[in-house]
Amino acid sequence: MNATPTIVVGYDGSADSTAALRWATQLSSAIGGRLRIVHAVGLLERAGLLADHFAVHQETALGVATEAGGDRERIEWSMVDGDPCSALLRMTVPPESADLVVVGSRGSDAHGASLLGSTSLELAERSTIPVTIVPPARENENRPPV
Amino acid sequence: MKLIVAGPTGAIGHDGGAYHPERQARIFSVMDGLRALGLEDEVIYPATPKADLSDLTRVHSAAYLAELETFCTRGGGDIDPDTYARPDSWNAARRAAGAGLAAIRSLEEFDDGVAFVPVRPPGHHAERDRAMGFCLLNNVAIAAASLTARGQRVLILDWDVHHGNGTQSMFWDDPNVLYVSTHQSPLFPGTGRAHEVGGPHAPGLTVNVPLPAGATGDVLRTAIDHVARPTIEEFSPDWVLVSCGFDAHEADPLGNFALSGGDFAELARMVNEFTPRQGRLALFLEGGYNQMALQVSVTDTLGALLGLHTHPSAPTYGGPGMKEVREAVAGRHRAIEQIQTTTSSVKGDR
Repeated sequence: MNATPTIVVGYDGSADSTAALRWATQLSSAIGGRLRIVHAVGLLERAGLLADHFAVHQETALGVATEAGGDRERIEWSMVDGDPCSALLRMTVPPESADLVVVGSRGSDAHGASLLGSTSLELAERSTIPVTIVPPARENENRPPV
Repeated sequence: MKLIVAGPTGAIGHDGGAYHPERQARIFSVMDGLRALGLEDEVIYPATPKADLSDLTRVHSAAYLAELETFCTRGGGDIDPDTYARPDSWNAARRAAGAGLAAIRSLEEFDDGVAFVPVRPPGHHAERDRAMGFCLLNNVAIAAASLTARGQRVLILDWDVHHGNGTQSMFWDDPNVLYVSTHQSPLFPGTGRAHEVGGPHAPGLTVNVPLPAGATGDVLRTAIDHVARPTIEEFSPDWVLVSCGFDAHEADPLGNFALSGGDFAELARMVNEFTPRQGRLALFLEGGYNQMALQVSVTDTLGALLGLHTHPSAPTYGGPGMKEVREAVAGRHRAIEQIQTTTSSVKGDR
């Protein structure tokens, strides 16, 4: 584990990923860790974008994290080319070497037990570091993570 | 020279909706480009049956194939923000993979000509056990594996604007496949750095040349000439398969390269130099999402290979990327040396 634990959270602006970002922010603050917010950029997203598309994404993500009590000095936002699962997996190996991956639960029950269509299940299957899947209900409870 | 067209497999039932760029209309444009060659009855259209499971399992896991089939049978859905499957997508993907195999069979039968495989869904992003980047089954990899299973050596040259992560990973450590890719970086899927050169059993047999947005045709040609050619000539392939993405065209909405139809003609001539003889070259459609660019690029590429006077647009020059080509050469050498050092030290420890 890194001397300062590093938590990576996937955030795409959806309600589920917002819940995951809030939870990861609270955990990161509680343990004095670094938070890395990752926005995976797929094939379609770069096409026909408004000039400030990614700036808006970044501002929104950092706003959610700040509202959740995060310290902006310890939070980094980055966009990573790839599908969500591959982009997050890349954060688990050097040079990033995160200690924990956090994602929302979207899709995990949409297709039964199938890994197809579920970033969270696929991450859980492939990641070599711990993965936390945050259910939407968890956010509604509004309880601290630890 | 004969032109063998294995397809089209338009995959009508594989439809991502009106706004998805990977759509049936792409095949219509490709076929318009073929008709513009004026060959009419001279084109050979072999039968293109669906690929058998035994063909697919050479590169995909049985578990993934079963999962994909079940997913489609149950109605399909979005696999990731880019990639979808519909009830007919399993069959569409098998037809696309089968067309590639039919192209190989026809080339062997005639022992002449060039084959073109206009199919969808495309394939080069599909990995052993996952779909991504519009791709469900890796068509070019399935064809290549059918050849290596018979002891053949295969060059896969990928000029799609996106890196073919799936193809690279499938043949990462295979000494019978040389994978060469020119692609825009940074861009989806985020793989394809110059230092990715292959595994311990195939050091150097993956060649990546990541290039910046705005790269012109001369940059890609230099990349192939300076970075890949020495390895290709040493490898001496029996077959050359091209992951023929036309999204490197300047008009494409998903990439930012600046190639013209004439550049694809030039690339096709270069690739043809790498074939050991006639009847050993097949081009597999990958990306390309501007309908007019697709049509023109198909005409210019195949026209160049067949020696037709199709009057392609002028090749392009002067874009950025020569520095990255030089860096790719250096980065690649360092990575190969590192693998060889590691391998020899492991042997020395025994």
